[in-house]
Amino acid sequence: MKHLRSFFRNLLRLRQADADLDQEVRAYVDLLAEEKSQAGVSPEQAQRAARMELGGIEHVKEEVRDVRSGAWLASLLQDLRYAARMLRNSPTFALVAVLTLAIGIGVNTAVFGVAEFLLRPLPVPHPEQLVVLATGQNGQAATGRFSYPEYLDLKRQATAFSDLTGYQVDFEGLSTGHDAVQFFMSWVTGNYFTMLGVKPYLGRLFLPSEGQAPGADPYMVLGYLFWQKEFHGDANIIGRKVVVAGHPVTIIGVTPPEFHGTFYAFDTQGYLLFSTEAADSQAAAFWSKREAREMTLMGRLRPRVSLPQAQASLDVIAARFARQYPESSKTLVVHAYPEKEARPQPDPTDQTVLIAAIFVGLAGLVTLLACLNVANVVLVRSTVRQREIAVRAALGAGRGRLVRQLLTESMLLAVLGGAAGMVLGVLGARLMGAIPARITQLPFQTEFPMNWRLFCYGLGIVVLGGIVVGVIPARRGASVDLNSVLHESGRSVIGGRHRLRDLLVVGQVAGSLVLLIIAGLFMRSLENVVHGKLGFDPDHVATLTVDPHEMGYTQEQGRNFFRELLQRARALPGVESAALAYSVPFGYYNSSAVLSEIDSYTRPAGQQLPQLGYNMAGTQYFSTMRIPVLRGRAFTDSDNQQSQRVAMVNQAMAQRFWPNQDPIGKRFKTKISDQPEQWFQVVGVLANSKYTSVTDENVPYFYVSLAQNYSAIQALEVRSALPPHVVLSELREQVRDLAPDLPIFYAKSMSEGLEDFNGFFLYRLGAELAAALGLLGLILAIIGVYGVVSYAASQRTHEIGVRMALGAARSDILLAVLRNGLWLVAAGIGLGLVLVLAATRVVADFLVGVSTTDPVTFAVVTVLLALVSLAACYIPARRAMKLDPMVALRYE
Amino acid sequence: MPPEQTELLQGTLDMLILKALALGEMHGLGIARRVEQLTRGTFQVKPGSLFPSLHRMEEQGWLSAFWGESENNRRAKYYRLTRAGERRLENESERWRRISGAITHALQTS
Repeated sequence: MKHLRSFFRNLLRLRQADADLDQEVRAYVDLLAEEKSQAGVSPEQAQRAARMELGGIEHVKEEVRDVRSGAWLASLLQDLRYAARMLRNSPTFALVAVLTLAIGIGVNTAVFGVAEFLLRPLPVPHPEQLVVLATGQNGQAATGRFSYPEYLDLKRQATAFSDLTGYQVDFEGLSTGHDAVQFFMSWVTGNYFTMLGVKPYLGRLFLPSEGQAPGADPYMVLGYLFWQKEFHGDANIIGRKVVVAGHPVTIIGVTPPEFHGTFYAFDTQGYLLFSTEAADSQAAAFWSKREAREMTLMGRLRPRVSLPQAQASLDVIAARFARQYPESSKTLVVHAYPEKEARPQPDPTDQTVLIAAIFVGLAGLVTLLACLNVANVVLVRSTVRQREIAVRAALGAGRGRLVRQLLTESMLLAVLGGAAGMVLGVLGARLMGAIPARITQLPFQTEFPMNWRLFCYGLGIVVLGGIVVGVIPARRGASVDLNSVLHESGRSVIGGRHRLRDLLVVGQVAGSLVLLIIAGLFMRSLENVVHGKLGFDPDHVATLTVDPHEMGYTQEQGRNFFRELLQRARALPGVESAALAYSVPFGYYNSSAVLSEIDSYTRPAGQQLPQLGYNMAGTQYFSTMRIPVLRGRAFTDSDNQQSQRVAMVNQAMAQRFWPNQDPIGKRFKTKISDQPEQWFQVVGVLANSKYTSVTDENVPYFYVSLAQNYSAIQALEVRSALPPHVVLSELREQVRDLAPDLPIFYAKSMSEGLEDFNGFFLYRLGAELAAALGLLGLILAIIGVYGVVSYAASQRTHEIGVRMALGAARSDILLAVLRNGLWLVAAGIGLGLVLVLAATRVVADFLVGVSTTDPVTFAVVTVLLALVSLAACYIPARRAMKLDPMVALRYE
Repeated sequence: MPPEQTELLQGTLDMLILKALALGEMHGLGIARRVEQLTRGTFQVKPGSLFPSLHRMEEQGWLSAFWGESENNRRAKYYRLTRAGERRLENESERWRRISGAITHALQTS
């Protein structure tokens, strides 16, 4: 208590306490002098001897201050005041340093903000317990869904989970009576919200007891944002009747604003029970067939159950399924993924974490470069300030105290830069978060509130930055040899070169080389992706996708609708050709099928059944897309429900199964969507193209006839001499005319579509982000090199004057200064090349058509960096060359 | 000046100052001289360690300080032991006796 009181007393009455201390020490000196003069020394001598013996009044006072409680705070306040004064006195320095740090920290915070967003836990209690399950068959990667009977069995038998829920995202049409909108929704089991622990924002959510029988509980829960957007946040919405996919349902509640569903980063706009979708007699398969796998499962681990334990119990259950239901589950495996690694869907090849880590690393490099830059400037200042520091040391400031003072200044810079950087960072993250909304029609939710994770990260960066910026200069600055500095007769001793500062520049050049080369490799990849051979011609093709099932259309109604739409599209003026297909290349959805039997092909022992991607195509599809038919024929009107099932394969598929044989007439057996297995006969061979990913290269792929295989969702492709957006508005008109309530799923020119999520989007985003980081690194390196070379030159002003007076040619001076800088740049580039060879290995997986040691990139970047650095050295060197020797000699 | 001076052990100075003050209130120089006298000149107390020690112990509540007049009518800051200071001295002395006894014993055993 007493201690606490003196703490405050010391803090509040510092001045008084200081005066008191001063008097006390002076009284001591007087007493000592008196003692000495009593011993017979003259009063003046006694006073002098007493002072000598004391060893400096200020020094003693400083030692006392250090032991006082609250001393650290008092000295911190003092240091802060002093630091603020120093910065005010050199506003240019302060501004440059703070801005540099703000950019460095801002970039880092922005990139981290995005990474944090991608890996943020779901806003539910104990999100770390959530696990997503997926099925795998025939040894394929586990990305599959579950059937309702499997769900019920797992829920009962998987005791590792306290609860297990099923959901499936979908697009559906919502009709409120006067108009229809398409919305992104989730079919769920009744316990979806209770398992997650989500509480209603308005009304109520589903109950675990609901949705257990066909047609039971026709209710709907709205997502908060959708409720705001479509219903303007109307609180009287509860009890309203709407129609979804042809099913009349009643709205019962709204989810809270922070909850966006379980298809991460997308905003689920509404929730309905599976029982509403599987209501009629056609949906009997949903309730009873084990192979009708339609739902993703998410479970909550019981406390103290680990993921491997849960996996072990799932393995046992899957093996039991395989024994009990061999026809549907012979090769079934069930795999458990932590929820964060299954976003938005389980996929073992998902590399979100790695990509996030790479970009956080690159941004970290930029931050490091910024800090090194500022450290350099602070270092220069601290050398200039040697005299001031020496004086303070002479007046009794301890070495630790001096280091603390210099550190406080750097920390103040870092905090100011950090605060500005955090603001920049949050803005930057929001900017990046807004990109998806521009290129995709999916409801993407991006929220970047200032949360504690972001704040702690920013704070950590600030502290680290402050240490980098401060410690190196502070350690040097404080280790001044008092005598040598104070005895210099006015000439600064600092000139010459400082190994440490040179090292910083070498590090900066190396760091920016690494950034630039990685950026260059990403740019080259993007180039390859965009200009790569697609295998089809996207120019002048408009695509429009609709799903009449969203309106509750039956297959018959759907077929009629699409037949009519196609006819009208073909009749439009300016239309060259039009065709229907199930999916669009690089579109939002696609399918694959397992080939169980193949004519004249024997599967090598131990190999899994081949699984291939496929599409359903109508007549004229290949001519519209300009995919060349190499052999045989394309689909015609004579391929119909009654005729032999036919297929077209690409070259890669023909090559794989029937090398050196004629593929025409060969058959394979497979299962297309929910139909039983059938034999398909090959009638044509197509040139290879890209299908689901821009990295597709010789991927085996086949097409079946759309007339023989129905899909509720279909894409219309229209090739026309007219601009695609003109054609699109015509097509919309036709859709509205045919089915007024049908929402348009997707309508874009095919070239625009290529920029979407599954197209160039990630490559472009990555390349642009990396390029921005590389550019920042380059700018920082230029500033660093320029700063150090021009400072070194200015410190050599006197020397240069002497050399010129002694007859040195101006070109010699130029070379001398240039050589100084160029050595550093050369060393930096050398170091950078070594580092980059290690760094590029990490990004190898994300490069397309370019090696990690791409000579073009390496050469261009190295030459660019060398030229720019040369310019940064040349300017100060030229200035040095133009010095008037007389002025130089009188300098200082 | 005494021919041989020894560096004070950490914490010993505090104890010696407490001991010096146990004989009565005193100002800084008086304390320094008294400690020299008590240790027969073996320890000389420098102001650079005396004052921090005094102020630290004052904050701990072992000493209390007040301004007074010296023998020659000079203003000086005086220190005196508090109750807590007396207890502290007892504890410290006891501890010291134990330690020094043990060390002496250890050194004598051959």
